[in-house]
Amino acid sequence: MFGLLAIEWLKIKRYSTFWVLTALFLILLPLWNYEIANGVIKMGGSGKKGMNFLNTQYSFPQVWGNLGWWGSIFITFISILVIIITTNEYGYRTNRQNIIDGWKRMQFFNAKVLLVVVLSFMVTLYLFLLGGVFGRVYSGSFSGLFNEFKQVCYFFLLSLDYLGFALFISIWIKRSGLAIGLFLLYSLIIENILKGSINYYADTPWGNLLPLQASDELLPFPMLQMAKAMMAATPTLSMTTYAWVAIGWCLVYYFAGRAILLRNDW
Amino acid sequence: MEPILSIQNISKSYGPIQALKDVSIDVPEGSVFGILGPNGSGKTTMLGIILDVLIAKSGSYKWFGGMPNDAARRQIGSLLETPNFYHYLSAFNNLEITAAISKRGKDDRIRVLKQVGLFDRMNSRFQTYSLGMKQRLAIGAALLGSPKVLVLDEPTNGLDPAGIAEIRELIRKLNKEGLTIIIASHLLDEIEKVCTHVAILKKGNLLLNGPVNEVLLSEDQIEVRAEDAVALQQVLQAMSGIKKINVADNTVQLTCEPTITPVQVNEFCISKGIVLSHLLLKKKSLETKFMELTNDK
Repeated sequence: MFGLLAIEWLKIKRYSTFWVLTALFLILLPLWNYEIANGVIKMGGSGKKGMNFLNTQYSFPQVWGNLGWWGSIFITFISILVIIITTNEYGYRTNRQNIIDGWKRMQFFNAKVLLVVVLSFMVTLYLFLLGGVFGRVYSGSFSGLFNEFKQVCYFFLLSLDYLGFALFISIWIKRSGLAIGLFLLYSLIIENILKGSINYYADTPWGNLLPLQASDELLPFPMLQMAKAMMAATPTLSMTTYAWVAIGWCLVYYFAGRAILLRNDW
Repeated sequence: MEPILSIQNISKSYGPIQALKDVSIDVPEGSVFGILGPNGSGKTTMLGIILDVLIAKSGSYKWFGGMPNDAARRQIGSLLETPNFYHYLSAFNNLEITAAISKRGKDDRIRVLKQVGLFDRMNSRFQTYSLGMKQRLAIGAALLGSPKVLVLDEPTNGLDPAGIAEIRELIRKLNKEGLTIIIASHLLDEIEKVCTHVAILKKGNLLLNGPVNEVLLSEDQIEVRAEDAVALQQVLQAMSGIKKINVADNTVQLTCEPTITPVQVNEFCISKGIVLSHLLLKKKSLETKFMELTNDK
Protein backbone atom coordinates (compact mmCIF):
# COMPACT_ATOMS: atom_id res chain seq x y z
CA MET A 1 0.00 0.00 0.00
CA PHE A 2 2.75 2.44 0.96
CA GLY A 3 4.66 1.30 -2.09
CA LEU A 4 1.81 2.39 -4.34
CA LEU A 5 1.48 5.73 -2.56
CA ALA A 6 5.23 6.29 -2.73
CA ILE A 7 5.08 5.91 -6.52
CA GLU A 8 2.08 8.27 -6.76
CA TRP A 9 4.13 10.74 -4.76
CA LEU A 10 7.01 10.44 -7.26
CA LYS A 11 4.53 11.32 -9.99
CA ILE A 12 3.14 14.44 -8.34
CA LYS A 13 5.86 15.86 -6.17
CA ARG A 14 7.47 17.73 -9.06
CA TYR A 15 4.20 18.58 -10.82
CA SER A 16 3.67 22.32 -10.70
CA THR A 17 -0.09 22.10 -11.39
CA PHE A 18 -0.44 19.98 -8.27
CA TRP A 19 1.33 22.55 -6.14
CA VAL A 20 -0.45 25.56 -7.63
CA LEU A 21 -3.94 24.12 -7.14
CA THR A 22 -3.10 22.84 -3.68
CA ALA A 23 -1.61 26.18 -2.68
CA LEU A 24 -4.67 28.04 -3.98
CA PHE A 25 -6.90 25.75 -1.94
CA LEU A 26 -4.75 26.20 1.16
CA ILE A 27 -4.62 30.00 0.80
CA LEU A 28 -8.06 30.84 -0.53
CA LEU A 29 -10.14 28.81 1.93
CA PRO A 30 -8.89 30.65 5.05
CA LEU A 31 -8.71 34.00 3.22
CA TRP A 32 -12.32 33.68 2.10
CA ASN A 33 -13.49 32.74 5.57
CA TYR A 34 -11.41 35.49 7.17
CA GLU A 35 -13.12 38.05 4.93
CA ILE A 36 -16.56 36.68 5.72
CA ALA A 37 -15.87 36.52 9.44
CA ASN A 38 -14.81 40.17 9.32
CA GLY A 39 -17.70 41.32 7.16
CA VAL A 40 -15.51 42.15 4.17
CA ILE A 41 -17.48 39.70 2.02
CA LYS A 42 -21.11 39.69 3.05
CA MET A 43 -24.69 39.18 2.17
CA GLY A 44 -26.97 42.17 2.83
CA GLY A 45 -25.12 45.38 2.06
CA SER A 46 -21.83 46.37 0.60
CA GLY A 47 -18.70 48.22 1.58
CA LYS A 48 -18.69 49.10 5.24
CA LYS A 49 -22.46 49.50 5.36
CA GLY A 50 -25.23 47.05 5.76
CA MET A 51 -26.23 44.12 7.85
CA ASN A 52 -24.34 40.87 7.66
CA PHE A 53 -25.72 37.37 8.10
CA LEU A 54 -22.74 35.27 7.28
CA ASN A 55 -20.27 36.29 9.95
CA THR A 56 -22.13 34.80 12.87
CA GLN A 57 -20.99 31.24 12.41
CA TYR A 58 -17.33 31.20 13.43
CA SER A 59 -17.48 30.23 17.08
CA PHE A 60 -17.64 26.67 18.38
CA PRO A 61 -19.49 24.57 17.48
CA GLN A 62 -21.11 26.32 14.47
CA VAL A 63 -17.69 26.85 12.87
CA TRP A 64 -17.56 23.18 11.80
CA GLY A 65 -20.78 23.24 9.81
CA ASN A 66 -19.93 26.64 8.39
CA LEU A 67 -16.37 25.79 7.30
CA GLY A 68 -17.63 22.43 6.08
CA TRP A 69 -20.10 24.18 3.79
CA TRP A 70 -17.44 26.47 2.32
CA GLY A 71 -15.09 23.52 2.11
CA SER A 72 -17.69 21.70 0.03
CA ILE A 73 -17.33 24.45 -2.57
CA PHE A 74 -13.55 24.74 -2.36
CA ILE A 75 -13.14 20.95 -2.70
CA THR A 76 -13.76 21.58 -6.42
CA PHE A 77 -10.09 22.68 -6.67
CA ILE A 78 -8.95 19.33 -5.39
CA SER A 79 -11.49 17.45 -7.52
CA ILE A 80 -10.13 19.12 -10.64
CA LEU A 81 -6.64 18.24 -9.46
CA VAL A 82 -7.63 14.58 -9.17
CA ILE A 83 -9.09 14.72 -12.69
CA ILE A 84 -5.93 16.30 -14.10
CA ILE A 85 -3.61 13.84 -12.40
CA THR A 86 -5.66 10.86 -13.57
CA THR A 87 -6.37 11.96 -17.14
CA ASN A 88 -2.68 12.89 -17.51
CA GLU A 89 -1.94 9.19 -17.28
CA TYR A 90 -4.16 8.58 -20.30
CA GLY A 91 -2.85 11.61 -22.16
CA TYR A 92 0.77 10.60 -21.64
CA ARG A 93 -0.16 6.89 -21.97
CA THR A 94 1.74 6.33 -18.76
CA ASN A 95 -1.18 4.19 -17.60
CA ARG A 96 0.03 1.68 -20.20
CA GLN A 97 3.64 2.15 -19.27
CA ASN A 98 2.93 1.51 -15.57
CA ILE A 99 1.39 -1.84 -16.55
CA ILE A 100 4.18 -2.67 -18.98
CA ASP A 101 6.72 -1.90 -16.28
CA GLY A 102 5.11 -4.42 -13.95
CA TRP A 103 2.01 -3.14 -12.19
CA LYS A 104 -1.22 -5.10 -12.24
CA ARG A 105 -4.16 -3.08 -13.53
CA MET A 106 -5.63 -3.09 -10.04
CA GLN A 107 -2.41 -1.67 -8.62
CA PHE A 108 -2.72 1.27 -10.98
CA PHE A 109 -6.32 1.77 -9.84
CA ASN A 110 -5.63 1.25 -6.14
CA ALA A 111 -2.78 3.73 -6.22
CA LYS A 112 -5.22 6.38 -7.45
CA VAL A 113 -7.88 5.33 -4.93
CA LEU A 114 -5.33 5.60 -2.13
CA LEU A 115 -4.35 9.03 -3.40
CA VAL A 116 -8.00 10.08 -3.18
CA VAL A 117 -8.27 8.76 0.38
CA VAL A 118 -5.06 10.50 1.44
CA LEU A 119 -6.08 13.80 -0.19
CA SER A 120 -9.49 13.58 1.53
CA PHE A 121 -7.78 12.99 4.84
CA MET A 122 -5.38 15.89 4.32
CA VAL A 123 -8.07 18.42 3.38
CA THR A 124 -10.15 17.26 6.37
CA LEU A 125 -7.17 17.69 8.65
CA TYR A 126 -6.62 21.15 7.23
CA LEU A 127 -10.26 22.03 7.74
CA PHE A 128 -9.98 20.83 11.32
CA LEU A 129 -6.94 23.05 11.93
CA LEU A 130 -8.67 26.06 10.36
CA GLY A 131 -11.81 25.39 12.40
CA GLY A 132 -9.68 25.24 15.53
CA VAL A 133 -8.10 28.61 14.77
CA PHE A 134 -11.33 30.37 13.75
CA GLY A 135 -13.23 28.82 16.64
CA ARG A 136 -10.56 29.82 19.15
CA VAL A 137 -10.48 33.40 17.84
CA TYR A 138 -14.26 33.89 17.73
CA SER A 139 -15.18 31.86 20.82
CA GLY A 140 -12.34 33.16 22.94
CA SER A 141 -11.54 29.65 24.16
CA PHE A 142 -11.40 26.04 23.05
CA SER A 143 -14.49 25.07 24.97
CA GLY A 144 -16.93 23.22 22.77
CA LEU A 145 -14.14 22.32 20.33
CA PHE A 146 -15.41 18.78 19.89
CA ASN A 147 -19.11 19.57 19.95
CA GLU A 148 -20.47 18.80 16.50
CA PHE A 149 -17.14 17.17 15.65
CA LYS A 150 -19.17 14.75 13.54
CA GLN A 151 -19.36 17.55 10.98
CA VAL A 152 -15.62 17.21 10.47
CA CYS A 153 -16.23 13.53 9.79
CA TYR A 154 -18.99 14.53 7.38
CA PHE A 155 -16.47 16.70 5.57
CA PHE A 156 -14.17 13.71 5.21
CA LEU A 157 -17.06 11.79 3.70
CA LEU A 158 -17.91 14.70 1.43
CA SER A 159 -14.30 14.89 0.24
CA LEU A 160 -14.23 11.17 -0.48
CA ASP A 161 -17.50 11.51 -2.38
CA TYR A 162 -16.29 14.44 -4.52
CA LEU A 163 -12.78 13.13 -5.16
CA GLY A 164 -14.05 9.60 -5.74
CA PHE A 165 -16.55 10.95 -8.24
CA ALA A 166 -13.76 12.93 -9.92
CA LEU A 167 -11.61 9.79 -10.15
CA PHE A 168 -14.49 7.79 -11.59
CA ILE A 169 -15.27 10.45 -14.22
CA SER A 170 -11.58 10.54 -15.20
CA ILE A 171 -11.32 6.79 -15.64
CA TRP A 172 -14.55 6.72 -17.55
CA ILE A 173 -13.95 9.72 -19.84
CA LYS A 174 -10.12 9.57 -20.02
CA ARG A 175 -9.84 13.00 -21.66
CA SER A 176 -8.86 15.88 -19.44
CA GLY A 177 -10.91 18.76 -20.82
CA LEU A 178 -14.09 16.77 -21.27
CA ALA A 179 -13.81 15.20 -17.83
CA ILE A 180 -13.35 18.57 -16.12
CA GLY A 181 -16.22 20.04 -18.15
CA LEU A 182 -18.56 17.21 -17.29
CA PHE A 183 -17.56 17.28 -13.64
CA LEU A 184 -18.31 20.99 -13.32
CA LEU A 185 -21.52 20.78 -15.36
CA TYR A 186 -22.74 17.87 -13.31
CA SER A 187 -21.86 19.25 -9.91
CA LEU A 188 -23.14 22.79 -10.59
CA ILE A 189 -26.06 22.33 -12.96
CA ILE A 190 -27.08 18.83 -13.99
CA GLU A 191 -27.38 17.47 -10.49
CA ASN A 192 -29.53 20.43 -9.43
CA ILE A 193 -31.83 19.89 -12.40
CA LEU A 194 -32.10 16.19 -11.60
CA LYS A 195 -32.59 16.81 -7.91
CA GLY A 196 -35.22 19.48 -8.51
CA SER A 197 -37.08 17.33 -11.02
CA ILE A 198 -37.09 14.23 -8.84
CA ASN A 199 -38.17 16.12 -5.75
CA TYR A 200 -40.80 18.10 -7.63
CA TYR A 201 -42.38 15.52 -9.90
CA ALA A 202 -42.16 12.58 -7.52
CA ASP A 203 -42.80 14.79 -4.50
CA THR A 204 -40.13 12.97 -2.53
CA PRO A 205 -36.69 13.90 -1.12
CA TRP A 206 -35.02 11.20 -3.18
CA GLY A 207 -33.40 13.79 -5.38
CA ASN A 208 -31.25 14.63 -2.36
CA LEU A 209 -29.64 11.21 -2.62
CA LEU A 210 -27.88 11.86 -5.93
CA PRO A 211 -24.11 11.20 -5.93
CA LEU A 212 -22.72 14.57 -4.84
CA GLN A 213 -25.94 15.90 -3.32
CA ALA A 214 -26.05 13.15 -0.67
CA SER A 215 -22.85 14.46 0.88
CA ASP A 216 -23.81 18.10 0.26
CA GLU A 217 -26.84 17.42 2.44
CA LEU A 218 -24.48 16.54 5.29
CA LEU A 219 -23.12 20.09 5.31
CA PRO A 220 -25.91 22.45 4.24
CA PHE A 221 -25.63 26.21 3.91
CA PRO A 222 -25.72 27.43 7.53
CA MET A 223 -28.28 30.21 6.83
CA LEU A 224 -30.54 27.68 5.20
CA GLN A 225 -30.46 25.57 8.33
CA MET A 226 -31.48 28.57 10.40
CA ALA A 227 -34.26 29.49 7.98
CA LYS A 228 -35.55 25.94 7.94
CA ALA A 229 -35.55 25.83 11.72
CA MET A 230 -37.44 29.12 11.89
CA MET A 231 -40.03 27.98 9.38
CA ALA A 232 -40.24 24.64 11.14
CA ALA A 233 -39.91 22.97 7.75
CA THR A 234 -40.36 19.24 7.79
CA PRO A 235 -37.02 17.47 8.01
CA THR A 236 -36.36 15.42 4.95
CA LEU A 237 -34.02 12.51 5.52
CA SER A 238 -31.78 11.90 8.51
CA MET A 239 -28.05 12.69 8.47
CA THR A 240 -27.37 9.01 9.03
CA THR A 241 -29.22 8.18 5.84
CA TYR A 242 -27.21 10.74 3.90
CA ALA A 243 -23.96 9.47 5.39
CA TRP A 244 -24.72 5.87 4.39
CA VAL A 245 -25.83 6.90 0.93
CA ALA A 246 -22.61 8.90 0.44
CA ILE A 247 -20.58 5.85 1.51
CA GLY A 248 -22.67 3.81 -0.92
CA TRP A 249 -21.82 6.16 -3.78
CA CYS A 250 -18.11 5.89 -2.95
CA LEU A 251 -18.42 2.12 -3.27
CA VAL A 252 -20.25 2.53 -6.57
CA TYR A 253 -17.39 4.69 -7.93
CA TYR A 254 -14.88 2.10 -6.79
CA PHE A 255 -16.56 -0.92 -8.31
CA ALA A 256 -17.65 0.86 -11.49
CA GLY A 257 -14.12 2.24 -11.99
CA ARG A 258 -12.66 -1.19 -11.34
CA ALA A 259 -15.00 -2.79 -13.88
CA ILE A 260 -14.06 -0.24 -16.55
CA LEU A 261 -10.34 -0.75 -15.94
CA LEU A 262 -10.40 -4.53 -15.89
CA ARG A 263 -12.68 -4.98 -18.88
CA ASN A 264 -11.26 -2.63 -21.48
CA ASP A 265 -8.14 -2.35 -23.56
CA TRP A 266 -5.74 0.33 -22.32
CA MET B 1 14.19 -26.03 -23.45
CA GLU B 2 11.15 -24.15 -22.22
CA PRO B 3 10.43 -21.15 -24.45
CA ILE B 4 10.74 -17.70 -22.86
CA LEU B 5 7.34 -16.83 -24.24
CA SER B 6 4.71 -19.18 -25.52
CA ILE B 7 1.71 -17.75 -27.35
CA GLN B 8 -1.22 -20.10 -27.94
CA ASN B 9 -4.01 -19.44 -30.43
CA ILE B 10 -4.44 -15.75 -29.72
CA SER B 11 -7.24 -13.91 -31.50
CA LYS B 12 -8.24 -10.31 -31.12
CA SER B 13 -10.69 -8.05 -32.90
CA TYR B 14 -11.51 -4.37 -32.81
CA GLY B 15 -15.18 -4.31 -33.70
CA PRO B 16 -15.49 -5.82 -37.18
CA ILE B 17 -11.74 -5.74 -37.79
CA GLN B 18 -9.95 -8.91 -36.85
CA ALA B 19 -6.50 -7.83 -35.74
CA LEU B 20 -5.11 -11.27 -34.88
CA LYS B 21 -6.36 -14.64 -36.05
CA ASP B 22 -5.41 -17.67 -34.02
CA VAL B 23 -1.72 -16.82 -33.71
CA SER B 24 0.64 -19.23 -31.94
CA ILE B 25 4.34 -18.51 -31.50
CA ASP B 26 7.11 -19.81 -29.25
CA VAL B 27 10.04 -17.54 -28.54
CA PRO B 28 13.16 -19.58 -27.66
CA GLU B 29 15.50 -18.41 -24.96
CA GLY B 30 18.49 -16.44 -26.23
CA SER B 31 16.95 -15.61 -29.59
CA VAL B 32 16.47 -12.31 -31.33
CA PHE B 33 12.91 -12.82 -32.42
CA GLY B 34 11.70 -10.55 -35.19
CA ILE B 35 8.02 -9.93 -35.74
CA LEU B 36 7.62 -8.61 -39.20
CA GLY B 37 4.64 -7.33 -41.06
CA PRO B 38 3.30 -4.36 -43.00
CA ASN B 39 1.50 -1.52 -41.23
CA GLY B 40 -1.66 -2.73 -39.56
CA SER B 41 -0.70 -6.39 -39.61
CA GLY B 42 -1.18 -6.88 -35.87
CA LYS B 43 2.39 -6.59 -34.55
CA THR B 44 1.68 -3.98 -31.90
CA THR B 45 -1.61 -5.66 -31.01
CA MET B 46 0.24 -8.87 -30.29
CA LEU B 47 2.86 -7.14 -28.15
CA GLY B 48 0.08 -5.21 -26.37
CA ILE B 49 -1.59 -8.49 -25.48
CA ILE B 50 1.53 -10.19 -24.15
CA LEU B 51 2.25 -7.06 -22.07
CA ASP B 52 -1.29 -7.03 -20.65
CA VAL B 53 -2.44 -3.64 -21.91
CA LEU B 54 -4.79 -5.22 -24.46
CA ILE B 55 -7.16 -8.07 -23.77
CA ALA B 56 -7.26 -10.99 -26.22
CA LYS B 57 -10.61 -12.32 -27.36
CA SER B 58 -9.35 -15.87 -27.01
CA GLY B 59 -6.10 -17.74 -26.56
CA SER B 60 -3.41 -17.54 -23.91
CA TYR B 61 0.24 -16.79 -23.38
CA LYS B 62 2.87 -17.83 -20.87
CA TRP B 63 6.05 -16.02 -19.86
CA PHE B 64 8.99 -17.99 -18.46
CA GLY B 65 7.02 -21.23 -18.38
CA GLY B 66 4.07 -19.80 -16.46
CA MET B 67 5.31 -17.08 -14.09
CA PRO B 68 2.53 -14.65 -12.97
CA ASN B 69 2.29 -12.01 -15.65
CA ASP B 70 3.05 -8.96 -13.52
CA ALA B 71 6.15 -10.60 -12.03
CA ALA B 72 7.22 -11.59 -15.54
CA ARG B 73 6.77 -8.02 -16.80
CA ARG B 74 9.08 -6.76 -14.07
CA GLN B 75 11.83 -8.85 -15.67
CA ILE B 76 11.10 -7.59 -19.14
CA GLY B 77 12.22 -4.24 -20.50
CA SER B 78 9.60 -3.02 -22.93
CA LEU B 79 8.99 -0.31 -25.43
CA LEU B 80 5.46 -0.44 -26.83
CA GLU B 81 4.41 1.79 -29.72
CA THR B 82 5.35 5.21 -28.32
CA PRO B 83 7.67 6.51 -25.60
CA ASN B 84 5.30 7.01 -22.64
CA PHE B 85 6.63 9.31 -19.94
CA TYR B 86 5.49 12.07 -17.59
CA HIS B 87 5.97 15.19 -19.68
CA TYR B 88 6.76 17.45 -16.75
CA LEU B 89 9.47 15.21 -15.28
CA SER B 90 13.09 14.95 -16.36
CA ALA B 91 14.49 11.77 -17.90
CA PHE B 92 16.22 11.00 -14.63
CA ASN B 93 13.05 11.37 -12.58
CA ASN B 94 10.95 9.47 -15.10
CA LEU B 95 13.34 6.56 -14.80
CA GLU B 96 12.90 6.66 -11.03
CA ILE B 97 9.24 5.79 -11.55
CA THR B 98 10.11 3.06 -14.06
CA ALA B 99 12.58 1.62 -11.54
CA ALA B 100 10.10 1.84 -8.66
CA ILE B 101 7.41 -0.06 -10.55
CA SER B 102 9.67 -2.68 -12.09
CA LYS B 103 11.65 -2.92 -8.82
CA ARG B 104 14.92 -2.86 -10.67
CA GLY B 105 17.55 -0.40 -11.74
CA LYS B 106 17.16 2.67 -9.53
CA ASP B 107 20.96 2.86 -9.29
CA ASP B 108 21.37 1.95 -12.93
CA ARG B 109 19.91 5.18 -14.32
CA ILE B 110 23.14 7.01 -15.08
CA ARG B 111 24.54 3.99 -16.93
CA VAL B 112 21.54 3.58 -19.24
CA LEU B 113 21.27 7.32 -19.86
CA LYS B 114 24.90 7.29 -20.95
CA GLN B 115 24.26 4.22 -23.06
CA VAL B 116 21.45 5.88 -25.01
CA GLY B 117 23.29 9.21 -25.22
CA LEU B 118 21.01 11.26 -22.99
CA PHE B 119 23.36 11.80 -20.07
CA ASP B 120 23.90 15.48 -20.92
CA ARG B 121 20.18 16.13 -21.07
CA MET B 122 19.01 13.89 -18.27
CA ASN B 123 17.77 16.78 -16.16
CA SER B 124 15.71 18.34 -18.95
CA ARG B 125 12.02 17.73 -18.90
CA PHE B 126 10.68 15.04 -21.21
CA GLN B 127 8.47 17.52 -23.05
CA THR B 128 11.55 19.41 -24.26
CA TYR B 129 12.93 16.30 -26.02
CA SER B 130 12.96 15.70 -29.76
CA LEU B 131 11.26 12.60 -31.18
CA GLY B 132 14.57 10.75 -31.41
CA MET B 133 15.51 11.65 -27.82
CA LYS B 134 12.14 10.43 -26.56
CA GLN B 135 12.72 7.17 -28.37
CA ARG B 136 16.19 6.90 -26.87
CA LEU B 137 14.78 7.44 -23.40
CA ALA B 138 12.22 4.70 -24.00
CA ILE B 139 15.00 2.33 -25.02
CA GLY B 140 16.97 3.41 -21.96
CA ALA B 141 13.98 2.69 -19.74
CA ALA B 142 13.71 -0.78 -21.26
CA LEU B 143 17.39 -1.44 -20.52
CA LEU B 144 17.14 -0.24 -16.92
CA GLY B 145 18.31 -2.77 -14.37
CA SER B 146 19.43 -5.36 -16.94
CA PRO B 147 16.20 -7.24 -17.70
CA LYS B 148 16.26 -10.82 -18.98
CA VAL B 149 14.08 -10.04 -21.96
CA LEU B 150 13.58 -6.99 -24.13
CA VAL B 151 10.38 -6.33 -26.04
CA LEU B 152 10.94 -3.57 -28.57
CA ASP B 153 8.19 -2.28 -30.81
CA GLU B 154 9.65 -0.36 -33.75
CA PRO B 155 12.71 0.62 -31.70
CA THR B 156 14.32 2.71 -34.42
CA ASN B 157 11.30 4.98 -34.94
CA GLY B 158 12.42 8.57 -35.14
CA LEU B 159 16.13 7.77 -34.92
CA ASP B 160 18.72 9.11 -37.33
CA PRO B 161 20.85 6.64 -39.36
CA ALA B 162 23.62 6.68 -36.76
CA GLY B 163 21.04 6.02 -34.05
CA ILE B 164 19.60 3.11 -36.02
CA ALA B 165 23.06 1.57 -36.38
CA GLU B 166 23.70 2.07 -32.66
CA ILE B 167 20.51 0.27 -31.74
CA ARG B 168 21.35 -2.58 -34.07
CA GLU B 169 24.77 -2.94 -32.46
CA LEU B 170 23.22 -2.74 -29.02
CA ILE B 171 20.76 -5.51 -29.85
CA ARG B 172 23.59 -7.73 -31.11
CA LYS B 173 25.67 -7.04 -28.04
CA LEU B 174 22.86 -7.65 -25.55
CA ASN B 175 21.89 -10.84 -27.34
CA LYS B 176 25.50 -12.06 -27.06
CA GLU B 177 25.26 -11.39 -23.34
CA GLY B 178 22.34 -13.78 -23.24
CA LEU B 179 19.28 -11.55 -23.46
CA THR B 180 16.27 -12.69 -25.39
CA ILE B 181 15.02 -9.88 -27.59
CA ILE B 182 11.61 -9.66 -29.23
CA ILE B 183 11.54 -6.95 -31.85
CA ALA B 184 8.64 -5.86 -34.02
CA SER B 185 9.28 -3.88 -37.14
CA HIS B 186 8.07 -3.12 -40.61
CA LEU B 187 11.66 -2.42 -41.61
CA LEU B 188 12.96 -5.61 -43.18
CA ASP B 189 16.49 -4.44 -43.10
CA GLU B 190 16.34 -4.03 -39.36
CA ILE B 191 15.02 -7.53 -38.80
CA GLU B 192 17.20 -9.24 -41.38
CA LYS B 193 20.39 -7.84 -39.95
CA VAL B 194 19.89 -8.82 -36.34
CA CYS B 195 17.31 -11.55 -35.98
CA THR B 196 17.85 -15.24 -35.37
CA HIS B 197 14.14 -16.03 -35.66
CA VAL B 198 11.34 -14.40 -37.55
CA ALA B 199 7.56 -14.45 -37.63
CA ILE B 200 5.68 -12.76 -40.43
CA LEU B 201 2.21 -11.37 -39.87
CA LYS B 202 -0.23 -10.16 -42.47
CA LYS B 203 -3.67 -8.84 -41.62
CA GLY B 204 -3.60 -10.74 -38.36
CA ASN B 205 -2.55 -14.06 -39.88
CA LEU B 206 0.74 -15.69 -38.99
CA LEU B 207 2.20 -16.50 -42.41
CA LEU B 208 5.49 -17.95 -41.37
CA ASN B 209 7.50 -18.54 -38.25
CA GLY B 210 10.92 -20.06 -37.54
CA PRO B 211 14.70 -19.58 -37.50
CA VAL B 212 15.85 -17.07 -40.10
CA ASN B 213 18.26 -19.61 -41.72
CA GLU B 214 15.63 -22.25 -42.25
CA VAL B 215 12.97 -19.87 -43.36
CA LEU B 216 15.26 -18.28 -45.91
CA LEU B 217 17.30 -21.30 -47.04
CA SER B 218 14.30 -23.34 -47.93
CA GLU B 219 13.75 -21.37 -51.09
CA ASP B 220 17.25 -20.63 -52.31
CA GLN B 221 17.88 -20.45 -56.02
CA ILE B 222 20.89 -21.57 -57.99
CA GLU B 223 21.83 -19.63 -61.10
CA VAL B 224 23.82 -21.25 -63.87
CA ARG B 225 25.06 -20.27 -67.32
CA ALA B 226 26.83 -22.16 -70.09
CA GLU B 227 27.77 -21.59 -73.73
CA ASP B 228 24.74 -23.49 -74.91
CA ALA B 229 21.82 -22.41 -72.80
CA VAL B 230 19.34 -24.65 -74.54
CA ALA B 231 21.42 -27.79 -73.98
CA LEU B 232 22.01 -26.75 -70.39
CA GLN B 233 18.31 -26.43 -69.79
CA GLN B 234 17.60 -29.82 -71.34
CA VAL B 235 20.27 -31.52 -69.25
CA LEU B 236 19.08 -29.97 -66.02
CA GLN B 237 15.51 -31.04 -66.66
CA ALA B 238 16.75 -34.58 -66.12
CA MET B 239 18.35 -33.82 -62.74
CA SER B 240 16.38 -34.96 -59.72
CA GLY B 241 15.73 -32.52 -56.87
CA ILE B 242 15.08 -29.56 -59.13
CA LYS B 243 11.60 -28.19 -58.68
CA LYS B 244 11.47 -25.42 -61.21
CA ILE B 245 13.55 -24.06 -64.07
CA ASN B 246 13.39 -20.49 -65.32
CA VAL B 247 15.35 -19.07 -68.18
CA ALA B 248 16.08 -15.39 -68.46
CA ASP B 249 18.82 -13.67 -70.48
CA ASN B 250 20.66 -16.95 -71.15
CA THR B 251 20.72 -17.58 -67.41
CA VAL B 252 19.02 -20.65 -66.01
CA GLN B 253 17.49 -20.22 -62.58
CA LEU B 254 16.88 -23.36 -60.56
CA THR B 255 14.52 -23.67 -57.64
CA CYS B 256 15.75 -26.76 -55.84
CA GLU B 257 15.03 -29.06 -52.95
CA PRO B 258 16.90 -27.89 -49.83
CA THR B 259 19.33 -30.83 -50.18
CA ILE B 260 20.68 -29.72 -53.55
CA THR B 261 23.95 -27.80 -53.41
CA PRO B 262 25.79 -25.88 -56.16
CA VAL B 263 28.50 -28.57 -56.06
CA GLN B 264 25.97 -31.25 -57.02
CA VAL B 265 24.66 -29.13 -59.87
CA ASN B 266 28.18 -28.54 -61.15
CA GLU B 267 29.11 -32.24 -60.95
CA PHE B 268 25.90 -33.22 -62.69
CA CYS B 269 26.48 -30.82 -65.60
CA ILE B 270 30.13 -31.91 -66.05
CA SER B 271 29.08 -35.55 -66.05
CA LYS B 272 26.73 -34.66 -68.92
CA GLY B 273 29.49 -32.86 -70.79
CA ILE B 274 28.48 -29.26 -70.08
CA VAL B 275 30.96 -26.83 -68.58
CA LEU B 276 29.36 -24.03 -66.57
CA SER B 277 30.51 -20.49 -67.15
CA HIS B 278 28.56 -19.17 -64.19
CA LEU B 279 27.38 -20.73 -60.93
CA LEU B 280 25.76 -18.74 -58.13
CA LEU B 281 23.81 -19.59 -55.01
CA LYS B 282 21.20 -16.87 -54.54
CA LYS B 283 19.79 -16.66 -51.05
CA LYS B 284 16.37 -15.21 -51.31
CA SER B 285 16.44 -11.96 -49.44
CA LEU B 286 13.93 -11.40 -46.69
CA GLU B 287 12.58 -8.52 -48.69
CA THR B 288 11.73 -10.70 -51.67
CA LYS B 289 10.22 -13.24 -49.36
CA PHE B 290 8.29 -10.62 -47.47
CA MET B 291 6.90 -9.07 -50.64
CA GLU B 292 5.89 -12.46 -51.96
CA LEU B 293 4.20 -13.42 -48.75
CA THR B 294 2.42 -10.20 -48.07
CA ASN B 295 1.37 -9.37 -51.62
CA ASP B 296 -2.31 -9.79 -52.21
CA LYS B 297 -2.75 -12.66 -54.58
